[in-house]
Amino acid sequence: MLESEVLSQAFELGFTYTRSTGPIVGRFLTDLKNRKITGIKASDGRVIVPPMEFDPDTAEALSEFVGVGSEGEIVSWCWVARPRDAHPLDKPFAWAMIKLDGADVAMVHCVKAESQNDVATGARVRAVWADETFGMMTDIRWFELL
Amino acid sequence: MTSNSAVLAAVVGIGQTKYQTKRGDVSIAGLVREAAVNALQDADLTFDDIDAVVIGKAPDMFEGVVMPECYLTDALGCNGKPMFRVHTAGSVGGSTALVAASHVQSGTFKRVLTVTYEKQSESNAMWALSSPQPFSVHLNAGAGGYFAPIIREYMRRSNAPYDAGIKVAVKDRLHGARNPLAHLHLPDITMKEVEESMMLWDPIRFLEACPSSDGACAMVIVSEDVAEDAPKPPAWIRGCAMRSEPTMYAGREEVSPQAGRDCAADVYKQAGVTDPRKDFDCAEVYVPFSWYEPMWLENLGFAPEGEGWKLTMEGATSLDEGGDIPWNCSGGVLSSNPIGASGMIRFAEAARQVRGDAGGHQVDGAKLALGHAYGGGAQFFSMWVVGAEKA
Repeated sequence: MLESEVLSQAFELGFTYTRSTGPIVGRFLTDLKNRKITGIKASDGRVIVPPMEFDPDTAEALSEFVGVGSEGEIVSWCWVARPRDAHPLDKPFAWAMIKLDGADVAMVHCVKAESQNDVATGARVRAVWADETFGMMTDIRWFELL
Repeated sequence: MTSNSAVLAAVVGIGQTKYQTKRGDVSIAGLVREAAVNALQDADLTFDDIDAVVIGKAPDMFEGVVMPECYLTDALGCNGKPMFRVHTAGSVGGSTALVAASHVQSGTFKRVLTVTYEKQSESNAMWALSSPQPFSVHLNAGAGGYFAPIIREYMRRSNAPYDAGIKVAVKDRLHGARNPLAHLHLPDITMKEVEESMMLWDPIRFLEACPSSDGACAMVIVSEDVAEDAPKPPAWIRGCAMRSEPTMYAGREEVSPQAGRDCAADVYKQAGVTDPRKDFDCAEVYVPFSWYEPMWLENLGFAPEGEGWKLTMEGATSLDEGGDIPWNCSGGVLSSNPIGASGMIRFAEAARQVRGDAGGHQVDGAKLALGHAYGGGAQFFSMWVVGAEKA
């Protein structure tokens, strides 16, 4: 029998779900809605953004929220020369690891820039908030270079 | 298998959450954490004492979180430790406990934390169980729709009275009313109320079906030497068995699956059980739809074929009627059903009984108990026997 004679059929499957964020991630997202960025203090004193529910070393439940700045520094980055539909910007932009002022770890987000020549490790950036915020990561539209 | 195991293992810690429709206050991580911390406290141990973590839940499609174990590492304190995930559909709570026990019985680890959960409020279990597949009949009916025709065949063969299922629905809810952790508390439920509830999948009425629950269950399983020093009485694991069979093929015995019979025979042999009704003080058996009590009474050898319903109707399985072999004193799956955890709750509740720690649903002086779970199209079985004594 030829391979093409074996029956096959494509099918699609989809469901709706709910997600409860819990008291830690939920607080982070609620603060985003209010245009604030919040981290959490880990057992070794580091401020982690976005916050974790449980300590990455000791597994203790974490609870000490720390507000961090909406400005920070690019730790590492890469240029997206040809954005696709799913990307947050329709013009070339950078994905960057950004260490916000007051945080001890970097967080990934996008940086709007005219050219990759403008982007550099160590460059200062500032969050640009959406006109309407919903409690989602996309409430920060992008970071702009200072 | 206990008979072949290098090390005797025991349950020294049990932790559960209060089962309820929705735990909107916690993430999935927060939910499993709560059960794990409760189990560690019961064992007077900390995360630092644990050598490995074994986690189980029902299929990923339920909550739509693929491989959730990957993100639950920190919540379960297994940073830098081995973590395993077990998958066996609805029986997963039982098989996860058995995998955890086997890691102690083999001598690999001394203290294993095992956790199972389901957050049904975030999931879509009914439809995830009914996904249409090309070239197959689309049942589109959830678990109840799958099991209803099998129950009807049981009723036809056994000539059971129409209200045997109704009796189980009432009995397990009266048991559940004794258990503060149970999802449903229906102390005033009546046969009439069950009979008049909506027919969902004939012959399964609304009140003859399990609820949808959020919840997690955890246990700490340790080696004999560690268990000897435990602060509370251990539940010694006297037998462990799992069996599987294909779900669908023409001619399969679906009313009393061979895998269930074989699994029971194996676990009874390990524990020296020859007459389950006489030898056990109680049993926690996976009964998500009321009629599965009489069906499993026969499959597990508590009653001769065709006569399981007689035990139910006589009150033999009822704590409130002073039955000689109470089943599901905790209220069972009919009172709480966080699917992935439901099997482990059976295993844990059996252990609570022989530890003398079952509170308002304790069977006086329980020394030997059966924990049972099944899953898939009644094709995966897992069972253990736990005792107050080592042998």
